[in-house]
Amino acid sequence: MSKKATLAREYVKGLWEQNAVFRQVLGMCPTLAVTVSAINGIAMALATTFVLVFSSVIISSIRKLIPSQVRIASYIVVIATFVTIVDLVMKAQFPELSKALGPYIPLIVVNCLILGRQEAFSSKNPVFRSFLDALGMGTGFLVALFLLGGIREIFGNRTLLGLQILPNFYEPWLVMILPAGAFLTLGLMMGFFNTMSQRKKRLEHQTIIQQHLKPQKPALASDGEAN
Amino acid sequence: MAATTTNPTYKLDLTSSPHVHSRWSTKQAMWMVVFALIPSIISAVVFFGFYQLLIIAVSVGFAVGTEAAIKAIRKRPITIMDGSGIITGLLLALILPPNFNLAFTAIGSVVAIGIGKEIFGGLGYNIFNPALVGRAFLQASFPVPMTTWTAPNYTVDAVTTATPLSAFKFDKVAADLSDLFIGNIGGSTGETSSIAVLIGGIVLIGAGVVNWRVPVSMIAGILVFGGIFYFIDPAAYPNPVFHLFAGGFLFGALFMATDWVTSPLTSKGMIIYGLGIALVLVIIRLFGGLPEGVMYAILFMNSFVPLINRYNRPRVFGEVTK
Amino acid sequence: MKTVIHMLITLTIIGVISGALLSQLSGWAAPKIAAHRKAETEKAIFLVQPNADSYEKIETVDFELYKVFDENKEAIGYALPYEGNGFQGKIRLMVGVKYDLNELVGLEVLEQVETPGLGTKVTEEPFTSQFNKLIADPNVEWVKGAEPSNPNEIQTITGATISSKAIVQIVNQGLDKLRASLKTGGEL
Repeated sequence: MSKKATLAREYVKGLWEQNAVFRQVLGMCPTLAVTVSAINGIAMALATTFVLVFSSVIISSIRKLIPSQVRIASYIVVIATFVTIVDLVMKAQFPELSKALGPYIPLIVVNCLILGRQEAFSSKNPVFRSFLDALGMGTGFLVALFLLGGIREIFGNRTLLGLQILPNFYEPWLVMILPAGAFLTLGLMMGFFNTMSQRKKRLEHQTIIQQHLKPQKPALASDGEAN
Repeated sequence: MAATTTNPTYKLDLTSSPHVHSRWSTKQAMWMVVFALIPSIISAVVFFGFYQLLIIAVSVGFAVGTEAAIKAIRKRPITIMDGSGIITGLLLALILPPNFNLAFTAIGSVVAIGIGKEIFGGLGYNIFNPALVGRAFLQASFPVPMTTWTAPNYTVDAVTTATPLSAFKFDKVAADLSDLFIGNIGGSTGETSSIAVLIGGIVLIGAGVVNWRVPVSMIAGILVFGGIFYFIDPAAYPNPVFHLFAGGFLFGALFMATDWVTSPLTSKGMIIYGLGIALVLVIIRLFGGLPEGVMYAILFMNSFVPLINRYNRPRVFGEVTK
Repeated sequence: MKTVIHMLITLTIIGVISGALLSQLSGWAAPKIAAHRKAETEKAIFLVQPNADSYEKIETVDFELYKVFDENKEAIGYALPYEGNGFQGKIRLMVGVKYDLNELVGLEVLEQVETPGLGTKVTEEPFTSQFNKLIADPNVEWVKGAEPSNPNEIQTITGATISSKAIVQIVNQGLDKLRASLKTGGEL
């Protein structure tokens, strides 16, 4: 964001504060579609991070050479190049994984997360900062997809990363590995994280209010607005 | 007519709109529904045995427990005595297959209340019928137990366990209409006996608890839409009367689609909604991959209710049409 | 005018660099990808024709077909990749059939998008092994909820009747096509 932010901050903000999935709700297509298992989520997030980091570095380094009228077109060409690289390498080296992720690898091109970061960050910031920002966003995406894929895999298939976690008497909830399970899990997780951060915010506000009210009369209870 | 929630800060009852005048309070009406379900509970026991009572107990127990737990976590007044949790539990138990696994019943009940109702803010705010949400979750999670039908007690042909709808869909065997009417057929516990469902439904309509427009337009709709296909090709498509009495249609029409919260407010809206359910249902039954689709048809039309309400808003007194 | 030229030059340079990079990469990846495809087909052929020693692609028909031979170079049957509609999308099978086209030797599901955990059971044992030594004369039939009583019957999977029936249908269609082209084209 602003130039004042420390370098560490550029990386850390993507992990949680501006998490691509839970906070910005970007890149929903791969998030919902491929997270039937933890390994799929990890692979997808790594592929996306690769594209994101390289595109950010390239675009940041040529940002002053691109006329603003064709910037989106240029970004897309750069992004598409890296996506094609990932796709070809995966098909050649990891055919099984490539089959599991199917059309979603080529679809990284249209992941709003990637184009969004180019437009919002790399096109205005120096190379190293863009690199950290992209890496942070990618890591956040990885965490989110791993959580989502992991939860769905545990409940839908008893396993995590292929290892059996839940006992045999647990009947897998097939809905979790169906598309409906993706929406349910993501919705519940977002709801949970929102509640947590709201609670944190409310407590912070309360302490501030308390501090300011201290010299005067006892603080008013502010429990009324729970939502 | 929607739920009453008490704001903890002020001693003032806040209710969500619309505020429709009714003979009954929410609580009274809810208990009327429970009362109207008694014939269906009896038919479930008669045709499928006493084990069904256990399913009902588990379903109701977990529904009420989940509601109380969520209210407690959210520090809201515990409103389980308004009867809505009990109804959700009862309805869910009655639309499950006979002798269904109790653990799965409990899961369905928790999902019905948790995801179907409380996550939206509780009674009055939910978009979808909670019992159907629970069943849809179970259907997607445990498809094999959810389609394993035990033959009813008084069956002649003890081997057959297919529901009349799936028998027709996959083998083109039409069931006997009198069996369909009485309920001596395979199917979800509370749905098989059309007569028991009708008794309860007529009590509800007569008492003014539910509006007649939804069930009547659904029945008219299925007779017309089913009739059109029957008229085109009687060999390939079933008789519309079969549509009416088979599967969960009547149960859905009288107890599910009429849910106050998830059905439209205006008379015209109710008719559109009822016809819509019938049309979607006929399409699913005749052309879908599944033999039965009352659940999906109602859930599908539930999602249109806000839209139907929006376009059928009663005109404000004195308003001039442009 | 200056901006237009600037725009054109920038886009051209980016395009050329990207194109050059990708063509280099593709030159490296294409043979590998082709090799994977071939290995996959080969694996499927030997899975559905366990006694096969070698195979050759038949070029005289307008669909994909492989003739398989045992170690004495004698033709023992065919491996036929064939696809059709499943419950939710295309199912692609590899069907192994004896030389007389009346007995199946194996079945392998190559691609499917059936419901996970339910329809996907058609890709697993014991469903697939039912097609081993199955008589396909005149056609493969299915029974529901009971043990098969005839040599040309398989049992459908409970809860996945549509997927199971789809497999039977695809097998029958594939065999019909094979028989029809045998009739018109003589010995393949």
